[in-house]
Amino acid sequence: MSHLIQVIILGLLLGGVYALMASGLTLMFGVMRIVNLAHGAFIIAACYVAFFLFRDLGWDPFVSLAVTMPLFFLLGMGVYRALFPRIEGSPRFGEMTVLLTFALALIVEGLLSYVFTGTFRSTDPSYATDAVRIGDFFIPTAQFYSSITSVVLLVALWAFLYFTRTGYAVRATMQNRTAAQIVGVNVRRVSTLSFGIGMALAGASGSLISFLFPFFPARHWQWIAILLALIVLGGLGSLKGAVVGALLLAVAAGVVSDRFGPTWSPMTFFGALFLILLIRPQGLFGHKARVG
Amino acid sequence: MTQVEKKESAGAGPVLPTPGKPRSRVRYAVPAIVTLFLALLPLARPLIGQPYNYVLQLGIAGLMWVAMASSWNLIGGFTGYISLGHNVFFGIGGYTAGMLLIYVGLSPFVTAPLAGLVAVAFGFLVGLVTLRTRGPSFIISTIALLLMTGLVFDNWDLVGGSNGLSLPLPPFPVESVKIPFYYAMLIIAIGSVYLGYRVAHSKFGLALRAIAQDETKAEVAGIDTRRIKIAAFSLSAFFVGAAGAIWGYSLSYLRPTIFFIIGVAAQMVLMVIIGGRGTVAGPAVGAVLLVTLNEVAVSQFGSSELNIVVTGVILLVVLLFFPLGVVGTLRDRGHLPGFLDWD
Repeated sequence: MSHLIQVIILGLLLGGVYALMASGLTLMFGVMRIVNLAHGAFIIAACYVAFFLFRDLGWDPFVSLAVTMPLFFLLGMGVYRALFPRIEGSPRFGEMTVLLTFALALIVEGLLSYVFTGTFRSTDPSYATDAVRIGDFFIPTAQFYSSITSVVLLVALWAFLYFTRTGYAVRATMQNRTAAQIVGVNVRRVSTLSFGIGMALAGASGSLISFLFPFFPARHWQWIAILLALIVLGGLGSLKGAVVGALLLAVAAGVVSDRFGPTWSPMTFFGALFLILLIRPQGLFGHKARVG
Repeated sequence: MTQVEKKESAGAGPVLPTPGKPRSRVRYAVPAIVTLFLALLPLARPLIGQPYNYVLQLGIAGLMWVAMASSWNLIGGFTGYISLGHNVFFGIGGYTAGMLLIYVGLSPFVTAPLAGLVAVAFGFLVGLVTLRTRGPSFIISTIALLLMTGLVFDNWDLVGGSNGLSLPLPPFPVESVKIPFYYAMLIIAIGSVYLGYRVAHSKFGLALRAIAQDETKAEVAGIDTRRIKIAAFSLSAFFVGAAGAIWGYSLSYLRPTIFFIIGVAAQMVLMVIIGGRGTVAGPAVGAVLLVTLNEVAVSQFGSSELNIVVTGVILLVVLLFFPLGVVGTLRDRGHLPGFLDWD
């Protein structure tokens, strides 16, 4: 029993980080209907930024957030402006975004592999293998800190969306793009900003997972599949869904990993995806009309 | 609905002739000459000389990609459902034939159609679940399918895990070992292009295009969209599976990293988009262009990660500036030569 609780604790800690990774993805879908297949690739790119800041300048991965977040925010706005206004109004917009970001993911992956080779890497700050003992349970320090950071960032995102005027505009655009435009929201600006925020969250995730999970360029496919599976579970475009989906699946993956070995833990996400498509294709918090 | 399918199986004639253009004889002559040329190529050993095996190997790869792209086009082009995990069927076909060779001793040349059918059955089962959704969720489920299948084959001892399986060498003399593979791929490629043509000119194909344009309206018009989609998805698995069987045997070993990597799916998508989505000739054109380009790139610059970058850049540029692909853009401008116009 206490072993199971330990597994659940670890799952919840990782779930916080998964939620942060997925939040950017679901924000992009919610606001712009963009399925960003390159999200994982950008997270891995941010891992490399954190890695070199750590190795060459000795910056702690948490400090590197101060670089990765603004850097990827600007990169995101640039990418949005360069690609997406061109395909706005295309009759198959959703599909176009998938194909475009697929191309983008290949480009990022190829460049990373070319420059940094396919070697496994990871930042190893001193606390990476530490753990705190509380009663019968162990709390790994690295997971704990990154989970706390994720929660802080998610709360900040929530506060931005619910308590600022720009946040209202973002949510209005999520609910109804046309109506938002009618009441005077600059949808193009909101979209650019949201894409930037989504990418900043990818940047932050990169810093945080750089010491939790060893990475190499092609790893991003596994990440993007996991993240997409959990936002489909939560309901595409729903932030609440992304967080709940992340926590649920991280715990489930922890249990699977404990029972059958870590090799099979990604299977949890894919299995859950197929299950949810069978039972409730719109996801836990999705609206039926908004699917597709 | 039953009527539609009866007509399809009875071989309904073309229902969508391209309006306005008289069908010239050249239109039939060019594909006939190309087919004849390809069929006679292996006989021209004295003419080709030293690079004979290289030429045939290139032919095998080129024909394989023609088959893969044309098959993908059924679901990704006509129906508008992007599958980023279609190489799962490639792997299933390859492993089915490989296992039958190792454990039963049946040659993949015999079992390739069976491998195709296994892929179809698998596609049917997967389609039952994944085609309940539309748009992004479907695409996501195909990526998940690919990674899931890759994970299983990586860790399944029966099929050799990530080390894969070695196949017995084909019982042919070394100097002409490529010939049977070449002809097998030629048949598969012709079959898949012909299938694309028949689908394009059937009521079934019309239903697929209707789904691509507006699925809700298609449904209102009385099309059983779910059944039609599942049919298209499973049908598109057949030649991919068969090609996998022949390809695996020609390599003489099977490994998950040959079949279950997303790069293979990326190539299929790219070829169809470059050639022209939802056209009959487009996928073949795209496949030939891309295989040629790749061969030139590898011989000039060597094989490196930059190839992935180039794949991505081409896809990006084509999507942004020529979303209709070669065939579609030429048709749009009224310059499409008759021999490429099979829609």
